[in-house]
Amino acid sequence: MEEAVVVAGKAIGAGLAMVGALGGGIGIGLAVGGAVQGMARNPDHTGTIQTNMILGVAFAEAVAIYALVVSLIILFVLS
Amino acid sequence: MTLNWSGKRRWIALILVLASLVVMFNWPPVVPVIQLPGEIYPSGEVFGLPITNTFAGSVVVWILILVLIRVVGSRRPRDGGEVPRGGFYNFFEMAFEGLYGFIGGIAPERYLGPIFKMFMTIFVVVLLSNWLELIPGIDSIGFLHPHVHEVDGHTELLEGFDTATLGGVYYVNGQCPWVSPDVAATMSGEALQARADAGCHSGIPAMEEPDDPAEASDDDHADEAADDEHADEIDYHHVEPGDPAVPWVILPYIRVPSTDLNMTLAIALIAVVMIQVMGFRALGIGYLTKFFNFSTLLKSPLGGIDVAVGLLELIGEFAKILSFAFRLLGNIFAGSILLFVMSFLVPVIVPWPFFLLEFFVGIIQAIVFGLLTAIFMSLATVSHHHDEEHHEEAAAGAH
Repeated sequence: MEEAVVVAGKAIGAGLAMVGALGGGIGIGLAVGGAVQGMARNPDHTGTIQTNMILGVAFAEAVAIYALVVSLIILFVLS
Repeated sequence: MTLNWSGKRRWIALILVLASLVVMFNWPPVVPVIQLPGEIYPSGEVFGLPITNTFAGSVVVWILILVLIRVVGSRRPRDGGEVPRGGFYNFFEMAFEGLYGFIGGIAPERYLGPIFKMFMTIFVVVLLSNWLELIPGIDSIGFLHPHVHEVDGHTELLEGFDTATLGGVYYVNGQCPWVSPDVAATMSGEALQARADAGCHSGIPAMEEPDDPAEASDDDHADEAADDEHADEIDYHHVEPGDPAVPWVILPYIRVPSTDLNMTLAIALIAVVMIQVMGFRALGIGYLTKFFNFSTLLKSPLGGIDVAVGLLELIGEFAKILSFAFRLLGNIFAGSILLFVMSFLVPVIVPWPFFLLEFFVGIIQAIVFGLLTAIFMSLATVSHHHDEEHHEEAAAGAH
C-alpha cells in the first residue's frame, strides 16, 4: 500500500513537472510563426532568419527540457 | 503509384518483417530498466574508478571518430588536385564546406578559424554520440544482472524477470515477471499453472515436489531471501545466472553516452571555458569588464545598473553550463526512452518513424550545441556596448 502511494506520488509529480513544457511550446510556436512570416515576406534573408530562429527555439526549448529533466529525475532517480 | 516488387531487397525486407513478427509473438519484448546514471560494470575497475556502460559508449565514439579520420583522410587527393576521389570523401567535403559557410555567416572573420574548429569538434562528437542510440542492440544486449538494491545493510529484491536459455545464451523471459515465494504462495493455482506452462522458474518450486537436490537448495535459498534476517546469507552479486531466487535484468554493454550527465556536462564545461578563452584572446584583460563593470558607477547616477548587469552576465555564464548539459541530456535520454517504449509496445513497423525522428533530433541537437558555442564565442569577441558607444562619441567629437 505504502509503495503504491509512493508510485502514485511520483507519477503525479512527474506529470505536474511536465506542465512546464507549456511555456516552451508557446514560445517555440511564436518564434517559428514569426520566422516563417519573415521568410515569406523576405525570402532573400531565409538563411539568417533560420539561424536566429533555431537559436531562439533552442533557448525556448531549454526551459521545456528542464521540466523534462525534472520529471525524469522524479521518475527514475528518486527512490 | 504501384510498388515495384521485383527488387531483391524488398523481399529481404519483407522476410525480415515476418521474422520479427514471429520473434515478437514467441519471445515477447521486455521493458528495460530505465535509470539515469550509467550502469556500472559488475567487474573491473580502472585506477579505482568504476567503469560505466556510458563510458564504454564514449570509447566506441572515439574509435568511430578515429576510423572516420583514417578513412576520410586516406581518400584525400594527395597531389593537392581537385579530382574527386569517391562519394564518401565528397560527402564529407560537402558537409564541411556547408558548415564552414554556415559558421562564416555568424563568426567574425578574424576568429573564424578557431571558432569553426571548436564548432566542428563538438558537432562531430555529439552527433556520433547521439546516433549511437539508433543502432539496434545497443541498449538491449548486455550482462545478465541480478536486480537487487542494498538498503541499510540488507538486500532488497526489485522487479525483474526470469531467465531462459536459447542455444546456451541467456535472455530475460518477458512472459515471466519474477515473483517472490511469498507472493507465489498467495497466487491462485490457475495463475501458477499458467506460469509453469510458460516455462517460468520463480515461484514454481513452491507448489511442486522438489525432486532435484539442487532445486531443493534453491528453494531453501528463496525462502531465506524472503526473510530479511537471513537475506545476507545469499551473496546476490555472485549468484549463478538464471537462479530463480533473484529477479534478473539486462545491464547493457554499451549505452548512448549522451544519456549520461557526466558526458554532457564535460562537453558543456569545455565549451564554456573555451568561450571565456576566446573572450580573453580577443579583448585581453578588458574582457573582464563585461562582468565587473565599475567604470560608470561614479560617473552616472544609474551606474549601479551596469554593475548589476555585469553580475547577471556572470551568473549567465554558469547558467550556460547547465543549459548546455541539460538540453543534450534531456533530448537524447527522452529520445532513447521513446525508442525503448515504442519497441516494447509494438516491436514491428511502429518504431520506424520514431527512429527517423531520433535521427533528426540527433543532428539538430549536435548543430544546436555547436552553433550556440560558436555564437557565444562570437559574442565574447565583441567589446562591451558602452565602450563602443563612447568610442563612437569620441570619434564623432573629433571630427
